[in-house]
Amino acid sequence: MAGYVIRRLLWLPLILLIVSFFTFCIARFGPGDPVSVAAGQIRDEAILQQIREDRGLDGSIFEQYLRWGQGAIRGDFGESLQQRGFTVSEVIFPRMWVSAQLGFIALILVFGLGILFGLIAAWANGSWIDPLIISVLLFLQAIPILVVIPPLLWLFAVQLNLLPVGGWDGLIDIWWIKGVIAIPIPDPHLYIPLVAFSLPGIAGVARLMRISALEVQNEDYIRTARSKGLSEPDIAIKHVLPNSLLPIVTVFGFALASIIEGAFFVETLLGIPGIGRFVFEAVGSRDYDVILATTVIFSTVFVVMNLIVELIYGFIDPRVRLGDTR
Amino acid sequence: MGENIAITPESNELISNNEWVLIWRRLRAKKLAMISLVLIIIIYGAGLFAPLVAPYSYTETNLDRGLEGPSRDHWLGTDRLGRDMLSRSIYSARTTLIVTTAVVVSGSLIIGNVLGLLAGYKGGWIDSLIMRIGEVFSSLPGLLMLILINATLGERVINGVRWFEAHTFFSGIVSSGIASYLTVFAALSLFFWVGTARIIRSQVLQLREREFIIAAEALGASPRRIIFVHLLPSVLFLIILQISATLGGIAGSEILLSWFGVGVQPPAASFGAMIFQGSGARTFQAHPHLLLVPGLIVTILLFSFALLGDALNDAISSR
Amino acid sequence: MFKRNKLLSILIIFVAILVVIVGGLSASLLLSGESEESVNTGITTSTQAGTDNNLSVGQLRLSGSDPVTLDPHLATDAGSAEYIVEIYSGLVTISPDLELTLDLASSVDISDDGITYTFELRDDIFFHSGRRVTAEDVAWSIKRALSRELQSTVSLAYLGDILGAREYFFGLSEDITGLELIDDKTIQFTLDSPKPFFLAKLTYPCAFVVDGQQIEVNERNWTRKPNGTGPYKLKEWRLSEQITLYAHDRYHLGIPPLKEVVYLLSGGSALTRFENDELDVAFISVNDVERARDVTSDLNPLYSVWPQFTISYFAFNIEKPPFDDVHIRRALGLSIDRKKIAEVTFSDMLAPATGILAPGLPGYTDVDKTLPFNPNRAREELLASKYKVENGQLVTSQGEVVPIVITEVGGGAEARIDTQAFLEQWRTELGVNVEIRQTDFATYLAESDAKQLQMFNGGWIMDYPDPENILDLKFHSQSGLNDLGYQNTAVDELLELARSELNPDQRIALYRDAEKLILEDAAWLPLYFSQNHVVVNADVNGWFEPPMVVPRLRFIEVNR
Repeated sequence: MAGYVIRRLLWLPLILLIVSFFTFCIARFGPGDPVSVAAGQIRDEAILQQIREDRGLDGSIFEQYLRWGQGAIRGDFGESLQQRGFTVSEVIFPRMWVSAQLGFIALILVFGLGILFGLIAAWANGSWIDPLIISVLLFLQAIPILVVIPPLLWLFAVQLNLLPVGGWDGLIDIWWIKGVIAIPIPDPHLYIPLVAFSLPGIAGVARLMRISALEVQNEDYIRTARSKGLSEPDIAIKHVLPNSLLPIVTVFGFALASIIEGAFFVETLLGIPGIGRFVFEAVGSRDYDVILATTVIFSTVFVVMNLIVELIYGFIDPRVRLGDTR
Repeated sequence: MGENIAITPESNELISNNEWVLIWRRLRAKKLAMISLVLIIIIYGAGLFAPLVAPYSYTETNLDRGLEGPSRDHWLGTDRLGRDMLSRSIYSARTTLIVTTAVVVSGSLIIGNVLGLLAGYKGGWIDSLIMRIGEVFSSLPGLLMLILINATLGERVINGVRWFEAHTFFSGIVSSGIASYLTVFAALSLFFWVGTARIIRSQVLQLREREFIIAAEALGASPRRIIFVHLLPSVLFLIILQISATLGGIAGSEILLSWFGVGVQPPAASFGAMIFQGSGARTFQAHPHLLLVPGLIVTILLFSFALLGDALNDAISSR
Repeated sequence: MFKRNKLLSILIIFVAILVVIVGGLSASLLLSGESEESVNTGITTSTQAGTDNNLSVGQLRLSGSDPVTLDPHLATDAGSAEYIVEIYSGLVTISPDLELTLDLASSVDISDDGITYTFELRDDIFFHSGRRVTAEDVAWSIKRALSRELQSTVSLAYLGDILGAREYFFGLSEDITGLELIDDKTIQFTLDSPKPFFLAKLTYPCAFVVDGQQIEVNERNWTRKPNGTGPYKLKEWRLSEQITLYAHDRYHLGIPPLKEVVYLLSGGSALTRFENDELDVAFISVNDVERARDVTSDLNPLYSVWPQFTISYFAFNIEKPPFDDVHIRRALGLSIDRKKIAEVTFSDMLAPATGILAPGLPGYTDVDKTLPFNPNRAREELLASKYKVENGQLVTSQGEVVPIVITEVGGGAEARIDTQAFLEQWRTELGVNVEIRQTDFATYLAESDAKQLQMFNGGWIMDYPDPENILDLKFHSQSGLNDLGYQNTAVDELLELARSELNPDQRIALYRDAEKLILEDAAWLPLYFSQNHVVVNADVNGWFEPPMVVPRLRFIEVNR
């Protein structure tokens, strides 16, 4: 087992190499370059060309990549072009942190509610509750995020003035009662993004949970358990739940890994300084160093998460022995 | 569940004809599913026959009658340039139809499922290879890829199609946007098959250790038969879920792509373009119909796909 | 039970993962950032040396965005410039009335041949740190701006008229010949030829003075607490959160009456925050302008409109068919009703352009020199051209189809709706189907630089209030910024004469003639002049939106 983990982790540097080189090439070969974008409306080709050369944007792709790689290994990802005078790390980590916070809470919400509703629906299978739950959730999922946010904003921020119109203020806010008692509550800036974020996800998880649970319910060993006289809730919790969680585990792992990617639309529409929006702007400005740094980080997280998910799999269901060939 | 379904002893088919009829009957019984199907057909149908159905052209502007709410002349109101919202919605449905065609043709629907099945069943080095490649692809910055592919490849493809149009009697291909959608989805499918593949693979991994599979192999059944006849049915529900999610998500993808300027160009109508005009809290406050009209239609479309997928699953697994 | 333990194990593993991720991120947060200033989200500066002045009062709250850079020699965007013009200053500046006025200099002497400029500095100029500014600081700043190591894309454009600047920039010489330090209060520039707009160019941030001592010590991070000479010092900059400017109590042109200006960098709609009393100034968007114009609304008394030196236009690449034919260009210009479309799509928040020079610029006249909306004339022009219309496309006399494609920067919610309106007019009035093609910004720039675009949507913001900044730079056939392939020897002559014409009235007359010819040639279709629509809190006195970025905070007062 330990050997398996190590072997998998050895892939990581290779994957990072491939991914970073590939991204590097694509960025460089595509149209547009950061010097040109940074130049503003006064553009003199001779000047821009010299700057490109001085920056090393003109050499062979391998030279350039090597230069970047040497820095990256030491943790120096270069300097940001959109925020001059700051290193890439200084610029992306705070934003990743913001996105991670938001994403994490949304994740808990989505999976918590999703698993709950999915189980209820599966348990209520046959009655009208099951289709009702699923239909409502699916309807909520069907609303595109760009359509969800403006009405929410209008209602709560503009009309009722209950919530702020955008921005970010951390996770916890203090609610003062009579200026004396302080109660920590989730920060109001969170509510609309969370709703926008979570709505689509819950349905997906619930459906998966439901179908998986229904699948498992008809298994032999469940029937055996029933015939042995175990009570329904007992069966549900001890037998159905763990086995039906398997597909959820995959999805959860994937979702967890992607929270550091941020959510572009939510961040842009609600003015949240997250990484999703920043990466978009980096791509637009051809801020190569930011793009590469974020790609490498995301890649690492994905690979590690993939590994963890597979390990959990093998753990839960011993029949699925990893690394075994048939 | 795998044992309940589908495999008739006499045939190698996944689901025999008799079974399909049964499934269809069960599906028909589900009212909600039928309504969904009808809605989908209406929306796509309107798109297909857009020039016949739409009361106005989608470009016809009337600058004096902009931003009006629903009226007798304009059932769904007008947009900022005075274009009829109903007509633009119909043509947007057409765009969605085109995008759907592009997605189907590009193979995005099946590639993830196929690779997942392969990886899960075969295991060993094939599994490792597919998963590792998947990791590489899923970490690549999709957005960057999208923009660059559209800018470089997209241009070439469009110019190629333009040349084709000029030299043959075909026309209107470029402006329909199918060329750029096809390019984009073919490229995107390179990156997005991973999620589906993982889900399918994990299910297959779980299933292949089951007794009936082992029994079948012991009996000397060929891998092909095992995959198609024994494995696939049990994974079918997941596959259907994935396909219905993808198809349903097409309208959503189109909106996203519109944001980045990919796909049909203005003034061609698309739900993405219409939604953008209406997005924004204050715009919503002043002219809610700009957002509600396309928003509701897209919601209905996505919702219908999802319900249909669910119902189909239920019908197949005879619940 | 076996299974229950499994459930527990799953939960434990997940929690473990989360801890790892959270821990990892926090650790990297703490480890990253090599500067002395530690924490990333809070890059605070200690208040600079100098007494806490009691003469300035009040706090102004504005909405803003993170500047791309606070280095005046590198900045190319208006967002950064807004802070830079308050934190730094140069030899000359532009007053709110758009007059060229002295700033760090107490006098300037221009030789008769217009080539030598001698500046004498004031006695009472100090950096925010309290150190006195000398001519050596000025010379150091100019040299640094033009240095090759700095890799500034703009400095040569603004300082390149100095003799030897170009050679210095490209590394061909060690020194700038035309820059001479006479004594610690006097500095002299020698130009390569008489250029009456040189002083105007010196108002641009490239010519601002920076503290060499600070930069040499801390080259990487000095912009985080820049030591400038402007009316305001940077008190605090929390990335993506807030920027605070604080009045410089030894500012030579008078201590600013407004003590503190806070820019809030995140938080959604400015107008909503304005109405919640979180901001003192907010821009009005198309959705709110009705309310602002409504005399009964409470926004109305606070609402004002300020014209800008910004023009938007359609540009034609004269080297690419069908725009090699002036009749086609004119036909397109005559068949669009810009006034109507500005009304409808922008609620009249933009003024239809009446020429290339915006109102307020020297050389501007009230007369509408652009092509009017005249569909009949448009069709006549079309007939007079060498192209015909067939099936909605232009075709050459050989029957070859020439499609017209406008390239724009695609941007979701900002995709231009007025272009769509124009398209429709071209279709109905001329029978020509024009296409739109959206690309991303960097691609657009690359293609524009390579002169590959056939027709595109452009915009220009004046950098200094002189017609040279637009007419010469964009329309002279040898100009690097001429992205149109435009060549008109008569125009070139006028522009060249104007470059060295020392009599201001005659200069302006030359530019007016040039503008007239350019418009007749229809190389550009000027569309609109921008306007800033704002609402300003009643407590704020003297707020104005200048037509281009100039220092203004020291003219504002807040009564609170």
